[in-house]
Amino acid sequence: MKKASLLRQMVAGVLVAELICAALLSGLAVVHEMRGRLRAFDVMLRGRADSVLGAIRDAEDPGDNAVVDPSELQVPDQDIYVVVDPSGRVLGQSPGLTEQLAKALRERATEPYFPFRSGGSRYRGVRLNGVRVIDRDDHGGIRRPVLILYASPSYPIWHESIEAVRFYVIGGIVLLGATGAALGWYLRRKLAPIEELAATAAGVSPQAWEFQPPAAARTTRELAPITDAIEHLLKGLRAAFERQRQLTGDAAHELKTSIAVLKSSLQLLTLTPRSATEYERGLEGLLLDTERTEELAARMLALARLEEAVAAEDETTNLSSAAASVVNRLRPIAELRRIGLSLVAEDDVAVPLASEDAEVLCSNLLMNALQHTPAGGHIEIRIRTEEASTVLHVVDDGEGIPEAALPHVFERFYRADSSRSRQSGGAGLGLAICKAMVERVHGSIDVQSTYGSGTEVVVRLPGCSQAAPGPLPPTQSADRSVSKGSL
Amino acid sequence: MRVLVVEDELRLASNIAEALRQRCGYAVDCAATGTDGLSLAELGNYDLLLLDLMLPGVDGFSIVQRLRRSSNSTPILILTARDERSQVIQLLNAGADDYLTKPFDLGELLARVKALIRRGKGASNPVLETGNLSLNAVEQTVRCKGQLIGLSPTEYRLLEYLIHRPRAIVSGRELLEHLYDYNWQHHSNVIEAHISNLRKKLRAAGEETSIVTIRGRGYRLEAPEKQI
Repeated sequence: MKKASLLRQMVAGVLVAELICAALLSGLAVVHEMRGRLRAFDVMLRGRADSVLGAIRDAEDPGDNAVVDPSELQVPDQDIYVVVDPSGRVLGQSPGLTEQLAKALRERATEPYFPFRSGGSRYRGVRLNGVRVIDRDDHGGIRRPVLILYASPSYPIWHESIEAVRFYVIGGIVLLGATGAALGWYLRRKLAPIEELAATAAGVSPQAWEFQPPAAARTTRELAPITDAIEHLLKGLRAAFERQRQLTGDAAHELKTSIAVLKSSLQLLTLTPRSATEYERGLEGLLLDTERTEELAARMLALARLEEAVAAEDETTNLSSAAASVVNRLRPIAELRRIGLSLVAEDDVAVPLASEDAEVLCSNLLMNALQHTPAGGHIEIRIRTEEASTVLHVVDDGEGIPEAALPHVFERFYRADSSRSRQSGGAGLGLAICKAMVERVHGSIDVQSTYGSGTEVVVRLPGCSQAAPGPLPPTQSADRSVSKGSL
Repeated sequence: MRVLVVEDELRLASNIAEALRQRCGYAVDCAATGTDGLSLAELGNYDLLLLDLMLPGVDGFSIVQRLRRSSNSTPILILTARDERSQVIQLLNAGADDYLTKPFDLGELLARVKALIRRGKGASNPVLETGNLSLNAVEQTVRCKGQLIGLSPTEYRLLEYLIHRPRAIVSGRELLEHLYDYNWQHHSNVIEAHISNLRKKLRAAGEETSIVTIRGRGYRLEAPEKQI
């Protein structure tokens, strides 16, 4: 596909504008020129008609008639004239005047100046009413009014005008060509930084992130925003790319390690002949390993799904009932570990999450708390509404998180204490999943912890207008302790 | 032989440890964090280190660097899930001896471990000989003039360790350190008992090589005069 050229368009635009200007100017100039020439022609005609008037003499005949004396007349041969007196009698006419021409001349002479055609030629004529005094004496002589029709071929005017037009057109074309060439060269020169910028930007790749735009790209007002935008974009891309690479590496590491466990467990079983019980125990271990790999894959997929898809706007869930069902499900584990579990929740708290997501959120946070709380500890889940948002607290009095680890807890595959969380099956994805889930609906998740004395996770979710609870729900102070650990 | 496995994936560490114990008869200690691994490696007398790269605390690469900088020459076999060439080159240059990428073959891991330990002791042949005695580290068998001598795993490990240190005096403490992991409640009389059993078995097989007790200092494997 042929690409539109900005340069060509600009040059073409300028040339078209110039062409229009040139045409208008030429037209105006030609009109002006024509009018000037016509006026000069008319003056000349009038002069010649006057000289015809001057050449009228007494005809020396009995009727005291006047006659044009051609010998006193010095006019060009191609000019024609007719002199008539008021009675219509022709006093004289140019020598070569034909009948047809004379007829045309007399017919068209209705105005002082008039154009007419005859026999294929254009003429311009003048009509002059004059008075000739003949037989001048002391009493003044005889006044004879005469009408002089004088015409001259008008082709010199047209010829000169066409010459002028030709001059303007040729000059215009030359000027346009020169402007086009100069403009093209100049614009190309001035647009060079764009091409350089493009070449520099094209040189950037995941292997070479360095972006060194030409100096002009920064100092030109029109280019600076583009340069800044490219730089900003590349910076973001690079960060995203690095994050992705890190993530892929981490994911590969986790999967390979998981497979390494499976493979080594299998090979260990086949290394030496074993008894049926040993095989049985080995296979049970393998099943657990497989389940862990499965869990890891499921969590990685869940995270990928959360990050790719856009949240369905219309899904809402009652967070309190989701939390209650998770608490019920995990109560046996908590009791086994002798950890107290309590849920303090408002009755009807709608959050913009799908019901499975809400349960995953609660269960991940609660599992995390359970894993890091020793026997005899206590975990409390609080759900309440604050203005337009829903706040979920998961508070434990467990071992807490070391300060150095605190900024990293939401990173994928991060484990504050590796041995423990690996034993309990997490791949360091639980909190990352929670974060992705909460941020997808424009909520926030924070963790506060004092090492050695407990952790508090606070999740803020935007409320749902259609199912928002009243300002003072009657159950606000109701303490619904779902389960208390058996201490 | 005593091996330290530094690996944060506990199932994997225990699988490796079990395989090393069962197939090679080695004493194996495990550390789940880089910090623990480094202090154990610095304190303990290990014949080989199996090191994961991505570890909490100190990472595997730093462990290699720090051990080598403090002139610890224990052979190091790296286990890594990432097989980027540049990383491998960096590791080997920093002083690691070999590497395996996860998931690996357990048999290959054992073979590499044995080869590295042999080379660490200055012997590349898996069959070690002294006097009429020949010890095959791959088969884990001991023969005298071609006749198989039936040894218990501990007796075999004792003899293997001594045979790697020809003519040197090996203390009971050193033997304890290299033959048992740190979960073992050590008593040097355990070693004494095993040494005496080993002596009896060697003598019964007609072997002239003997384990000499050097009072207050330890034991030495002595081949007959004519052989030396």
